[in-house]
Amino acid sequence: MSLRNRIAFYYTITTAFLIALVFAILYFMVESIVYKQFDEEINNEVTELFTDAHATSHDFTSFSRFKTFIDDNIEVKIDPKEAVKVDTEFIQLVNIEGEVINKSINLARNVLIFKPGETTMIYFNSTINNSAIRQGQLPLFNRDGIIKGYLIIAVPMKKAIIVLNDLENVFRFSFPAIILTLFVLTRLIAGKSIRPIEKVIATAEKMTQPNIHQRIGLPFHHDELYRLSATINALLDRMEDAFQREKQFTADASHELKTPLSVVKGTLEVLVRKPREREQYENKIQFCLMELNRMAQLIDQLLMLARYESNKMNPHIQEVSLPIALEAATARLHPIAFEKKIEFKITGTEKASVTADLAMLDIILENILSNAIKYSHEASVVTITIERQERNILCSIADQGIGIPEEKLHAVFERFYRVDESRSSGTGGFGLGLSIVKRLADIQQIKVGVKSNKTIGTTFTLTFPSTAS
Amino acid sequence: MRLLIIEDEPGIAGFLKDGLEEEYFAVDVAYDGKSGLDHAMTNEYDLIIIDWMIPVLSGIEVCRQIRKSGSVVPIMFLTAKDTLEDVVFGLEAGANDYIKKPFAFEELLARIRVQLRSKNQGDDSLRAGNLNINPGTHQVFYDSLEITLTPKEFALLEYLVRNKDKVCTRSRIIEHVWDIHFDSDTSVIDVYITFLRRKLEHAGCGNLIQTIRGVGYIIRES
Repeated sequence: MSLRNRIAFYYTITTAFLIALVFAILYFMVESIVYKQFDEEINNEVTELFTDAHATSHDFTSFSRFKTFIDDNIEVKIDPKEAVKVDTEFIQLVNIEGEVINKSINLARNVLIFKPGETTMIYFNSTINNSAIRQGQLPLFNRDGIIKGYLIIAVPMKKAIIVLNDLENVFRFSFPAIILTLFVLTRLIAGKSIRPIEKVIATAEKMTQPNIHQRIGLPFHHDELYRLSATINALLDRMEDAFQREKQFTADASHELKTPLSVVKGTLEVLVRKPREREQYENKIQFCLMELNRMAQLIDQLLMLARYESNKMNPHIQEVSLPIALEAATARLHPIAFEKKIEFKITGTEKASVTADLAMLDIILENILSNAIKYSHEASVVTITIERQERNILCSIADQGIGIPEEKLHAVFERFYRVDESRSSGTGGFGLGLSIVKRLADIQQIKVGVKSNKTIGTTFTLTFPSTAS
Repeated sequence: MRLLIIEDEPGIAGFLKDGLEEEYFAVDVAYDGKSGLDHAMTNEYDLIIIDWMIPVLSGIEVCRQIRKSGSVVPIMFLTAKDTLEDVVFGLEAGANDYIKKPFAFEELLARIRVQLRSKNQGDDSLRAGNLNINPGTHQVFYDSLEITLTPKEFALLEYLVRNKDKVCTRSRIIEHVWDIHFDSDTSVIDVYITFLRRKLEHAGCGNLIQTIRGVGYIIRES
């Protein structure tokens, strides 16, 4: 069942229940008013009878007077042609056993229903000759207060019953009509109010990967649907951003892979077009080998990145001595540091142990340190500081290099990002090192920060999570 | 025929220059968009090869600027961008051809020759009277007799034949046959013309190249 039908259905059910209740209350109120009026009429009749018969209260001594009085009195009013004339009142006297002692002539052969055992005046509905009547039954007492008989008075209810029946019919037939109209209207209104949702669905259905740039039109009112649409749009923004970055990565990766491939292929193709000197062959083959090495290096880094990004890595977290890890990393980088006459200075070497995956930490340190060497001025110092800050251990690696411009600082962890845009620059990286660092740091909950100044150099900071102990 | 290569990857620019020079082209190389555009604006090239992703100015931007200046020089994109949209985008920016990396050098060469064909030229071979030049094999025939030429002589003859019935000024010849590293001493042209004439005369087509005094040279069809 669609949302629209469901809203209409529940609404209609609730309203139908309420309407039925209101109708019932109305009906019973009208009915009780009608009966009250008849009962009033019966009471009046009783009073009149007592007055006419010169009887006081329900006195049994007056009983015989009633007997004669009823016949004398009523007979006059009766049209003899009609057996039972139902639009006048009927009077009947019964003794305590219920035997009819006297009755008005208009009752003819009929007898009013008697309910034995009652000690007070009662009113009830009954019929006579299939016509509805309202009866009143009054007990008659003797001087000692013992019931000796009953005075039964009945008035016809024909017109009132017609009114009640009409009322009932009106309710009965109008009810389904009202409910049906209500359902149709609610459905219409519900449809109208959920139309923005239909729009959201239509837009979402049209959205496939190539045209994810479409957005849902925001409704005019700042209501829940507005918020829903805005939230979906924000989600789409983020998705589009992610798609865009993924696309950029693929484009960059393919460029970086195809370039050395093109170089090798082209160089060799040109080389074999003509016979050449031995030296020329050797030179070109050397050149191609260099390019292939670079390509192998790139493929290694890409695979590493892919493996870390797939999140299937389970880091083997353990207690690692940071100074020892740094010592090992600087020792491995010594040859290239030596070439540029760069000195490593490690300060604040307390017994700092951190929780990390040793192999991953090695990759992180080596990448940051080799960057420091790469972008340092010749014969400068790379300062590594280990310090304790509250419960965390901080390790900062500061070079005295060329620095990174402020506006490019935020992008250094992006894949294939290089501050120096010309790929032909001598530094020769791919722009993947820091992406790998970031990824590995995230896996181990290490925070990586960077700040830079053109005159001082660049500082990378690793904040290790506090040790459990 | 003089070409400009705008390519930031030295390895690719290197083998392109080597390979094309062996095919008797004069080749200039620019390593970024801005210097490439400067070259294209100041010198006259017969064809420009542009990489899309180059620093300072993108290849697309360079291509657009060249076209905006009113130049109709054939432009070829040489790029790793290989989606359909990229190809269409590149061609719509004003390029004449689009080659995806990695490419075969032979294909690039063939495509360059296609771009250098004139409108009424069905294949790559060039003719002037009974003289027949094949740029692909670097062979020159007069009737059925082959004339052996040095690369420079060949390039000079090729340029004159491509522009037959038009006067080729000395400065234009220098522009199109020699690359940017050559100082513009036009007397070297006269020397090569003399060599050429001698070889042509030997084969029997003596006065093919005519001198327009004080201006340059011309080859006439008739």
